[in-house]
Amino acid sequence: MPLLSTLLVRTALGWLAAAALMGALLLAGKAVPMPEAVFQAFPLHAEAMLVGWMVQLAMGVAYWILPKYPRLPERGPAAPIWAAWLLLNGGVLLAGLGRSMGAGDGTVLAGRVAELLAAAAFALAAWPRVKAFGR
Amino acid sequence: MPTVTRWFVRSALVWFLLALAAGVLLANGMSARVPGTSLILPYPTYLHLLTVGWLTNLIFGVAFWMFPRYTAEHPRGSDRLAWVAYTGLNAGLVLRLIGEPAQMSGGAAATLLVASAGLQLLGAWAFVLNTWPRVKVK
Repeated sequence: MPLLSTLLVRTALGWLAAAALMGALLLAGKAVPMPEAVFQAFPLHAEAMLVGWMVQLAMGVAYWILPKYPRLPERGPAAPIWAAWLLLNGGVLLAGLGRSMGAGDGTVLAGRVAELLAAAAFALAAWPRVKAFGR
Repeated sequence: MPTVTRWFVRSALVWFLLALAAGVLLANGMSARVPGTSLILPYPTYLHLLTVGWLTNLIFGVAFWMFPRYTAEHPRGSDRLAWVAYTGLNAGLVLRLIGEPAQMSGGAAATLLVASAGLQLLGAWAFVLNTWPRVKVK
């Protein structure tokens, strides 16, 4: 597995571990009293589970598995993938943690824009690797 | 395909059907009465049937099967942890599927929901623990 895939997949696993803990506390909070902070974590739970875990895992596996180039660098330039990793995780923090900590709409918007830019950077790098065998 | 992967993927397919059936029930609102019962199905149950039951089971099963080998002796890491992940995730989701509608309908479901939360957390962490060392640079 290439370095950038390990970075994306391990970060995704980290988000899964954290989001599962938040989700367990939120679910248990429907049955037993919990501190208010637990319920405030709901936006971060949702953002971390969907974007931090599932989206990021898909990106990491796609970067690893998609057809390679016959020349070096065999998975294309690394810069867009580094940018996607930074933007995606910055976006999850801004949008998820920001909303959970009561930040304004501007912070959440900035997070979602960062996630959009991450998607654009990733798509730019992945697009030419989606091709028929032997090309 | 390893045995535990078959259980993950077939369970995912069953949850997929249940989730979309729940989606049909919830077509006109954020909660709906389950036909022939007094139970109320809430939207979060539907969402978790889809994301935990379908997507997460499928991801866990395929990752256990396809990710890089851990060692030659234990190519997929620990089978025991994989089974803990499977059992925790799915038993936890079954308890949620019973507990949330029961609570919405006015029943006592506190124990079910707390157990569900603990089991799903155990399942997720078991998967992370087993998968982490397999995610490595070749």
